[in-house]
Amino acid sequence: MPVALVDRLPLPNLKVYTAGSVLLLSVAVFHAVSVTSDPNWRAHTSLQRQKVMAGEGDADVVKVMQEVRTSSLNMSTNGTRNLTEQFVEVMTFMMQEPLCMWTVINIAYCGLALFGFVVQRLVFGRLRVAEAQRVKDKLWNFVFYKFIFVFGVLNVQYMDEVLLWCTWFTLLGFLHLLAQLCKDRFEYLSSSPNTWWWAHARLLGLLCFIQVACCCLLAGAVLAGLPATRDTFAFMAAECALVVVGALHVAARYVLQAASVDAAEPLAYYTHLCFDSVALGVELAHVVHMVVYSNMLVSMASLVLLMQLRHLLHALQARLRRHRLYTALASHMSRNYPMASKEEVEKNQDNCAICWEPMKEARKLPCSHLFHNSCLCQWVQQDASCPTCRRALDAGAGAGAGAGAQGAAAGAGAGALRLLDDGPPPPPPRHPGQLFHFDACAHVAVWGAPPPDAGRRHMESDRLALLYLSRRSRYVSWLPSFSVEVTRVRMEPLAGSQIDAMVRQVQAMFPQYGAGVLAAELAHTRSAALTIDNILEGRLPPPPPPTPAPTPPGLYTPLQQLLTVHSGRSEWSQGESLLKNKTPTCIVFTRMPNV
Amino acid sequence: MAGSALRRLMAEYKQLTINPPEGIIAGPVNEENFFEWEALITGPEGTCFEGGIFPAKLIFPPDYPLSPPKMQFICEMFHPNIYADGRVCISILHAPGDDPMGYESSAERWSPVQSVEKILLSVVSMLAEPNDESGANVDAAKMWREDREQFNKIAEQLVRKTLGLPPP
Repeated sequence: MPVALVDRLPLPNLKVYTAGSVLLLSVAVFHAVSVTSDPNWRAHTSLQRQKVMAGEGDADVVKVMQEVRTSSLNMSTNGTRNLTEQFVEVMTFMMQEPLCMWTVINIAYCGLALFGFVVQRLVFGRLRVAEAQRVKDKLWNFVFYKFIFVFGVLNVQYMDEVLLWCTWFTLLGFLHLLAQLCKDRFEYLSSSPNTWWWAHARLLGLLCFIQVACCCLLAGAVLAGLPATRDTFAFMAAECALVVVGALHVAARYVLQAASVDAAEPLAYYTHLCFDSVALGVELAHVVHMVVYSNMLVSMASLVLLMQLRHLLHALQARLRRHRLYTALASHMSRNYPMASKEEVEKNQDNCAICWEPMKEARKLPCSHLFHNSCLCQWVQQDASCPTCRRALDAGAGAGAGAGAQGAAAGAGAGALRLLDDGPPPPPPRHPGQLFHFDACAHVAVWGAPPPDAGRRHMESDRLALLYLSRRSRYVSWLPSFSVEVTRVRMEPLAGSQIDAMVRQVQAMFPQYGAGVLAAELAHTRSAALTIDNILEGRLPPPPPPTPAPTPPGLYTPLQQLLTVHSGRSEWSQGESLLKNKTPTCIVFTRMPNV
Repeated sequence: MAGSALRRLMAEYKQLTINPPEGIIAGPVNEENFFEWEALITGPEGTCFEGGIFPAKLIFPPDYPLSPPKMQFICEMFHPNIYADGRVCISILHAPGDDPMGYESSAERWSPVQSVEKILLSVVSMLAEPNDESGANVDAAKMWREDREQFNKIAEQLVRKTLGLPPP
């Protein structure tokens, strides 16, 4: 993981870096001035270069010496040089001398870093820990990714081209990071109680600056990229467009917030949809373009690109699914929960029970409780019941018929579909025997959750566990912090004594199952815990009505013990029914009327 | 999203300051961050926790009130419905989707109609009447059922501890 590695590197802080850069620059300038103070410096330097190139050709050298002499004579006749001429000379010398040039480049980076620091102090003040971390992650991934681009895709050969691309990506990366910071800060400010208007004003100002700078870069791309090749221009323009779209999105969220448009309303939703799809589309086109351009199917670079492509496609797919769910939910809401009439809203003195704010218009549930449209919309995604009286809402609960199936697939039971929050969708439920565990970002890969018996099916084959560890940020999710772990468990027949021991273990909990049934099941699952899960989740056919068999006292689980002691019964089946009928959860809270 | 959560939390804070329920103080840890609260709960009268002042913290999710907050006592507690790390196990704090114990009906779980005040009131009643059927702390549940005297003694020690008194 390059990010972790970089963290450990002893990078100098800004002060030391600036001091060092300035020192280097002054040494270089001093050198340049001392060299150029000799009016014949051009002659000397070009002479040296010619010497090197001409090698041993004596005749050439003599010729060159003569030329040089005449030119230097011309120069010295000009007499004293004024300050600007001297400055120009110093600059030309520094551009010619590689060491001096590097110091100039270094000072340019230093200037950019200082500028970034000033912007950070002016606009953001102190960065919060999360923001700083995000920026750091983003920076190193950007660097890594662009490295791949320059050397893998473009396959740049010459130093000056590398330098040009470096400059371009430095500026672009700078704007990228600022846009990212703006986004993070906007989210923080919108959830913070007392923010001053100038914090927002500064943020908006920075967003404007980013837009303008991006337009400048785009103009640069038109000037520099178009004459080169159309591909180069497309690469440059796509990068610019991504930053512009990101910054515009934040600005649009500002506008929406200022107009107090709720997240669930169609206007806000479609604005976000627009921005998301444009950003995804541009990026997808960009990556496809890179893959086509690089034209090397078997290389590290194309592998990285294809992985990004896959990630983007999944993101697009997830976005589309979210959109389908949204439309299904909207139609479900308008079909089943009509808007309340004006009189009803006026008669109802209460605020909306979800957000505690007054209602101008509201939707009415079948139980005649009123809620804001957007509040209700968000709640229905989670749970298909009335928040106030807890009456279950009718069939197809959640988001209509089509979405219901997907809701079940997403593992969010009872039609609980969470599609509108900005975070990643909940990971699919971890099946006890499920062999593919995906975390965080990789959720999309296995969105169609396994069928209920997947656990058992997989157990019968070799065991293969894939662990995808990834984080949320765009580059990080597919790049370095991606680790794949493959474990293979070889199937060896279990010894009879092992199975017997496990059968006893399971029977201690479920005496109603016969030893034969359990032994057969255990031969499949090879683990007592998995068998217990299968029984609990009803995958194992229930046995005929249980014949009461007292459980051996030493093998109680704590919960069971607790239950049996409490109810004075000694049978698990009865204990279970106790569990079902009574609600042993701590406090059952008596609901108060909606005040 | 976060905006409506913030407005709702501010409304709840206002209501709790204007009209505080008996024996309960709650509010944001600092006014910069309304998503983290601290609460002080006095042990209900006539129970073994009487006289104690128990600090707890509440962490609200960004989509509050659609999801419940998390509540955790930050003092030592010994109670059948409080985990060893201080987390409180009451049904209204469980989101409708998840079911850690596997036997709660949706009706007694979190709903946006609940509020900080109602959560704290139900925690007070939980202190008064532990529910020994849900074993957040099995040892405590067992002691509560079988050896009430010992339980009361431990509770009394905890009460003294929260008040900064030496053990008797």
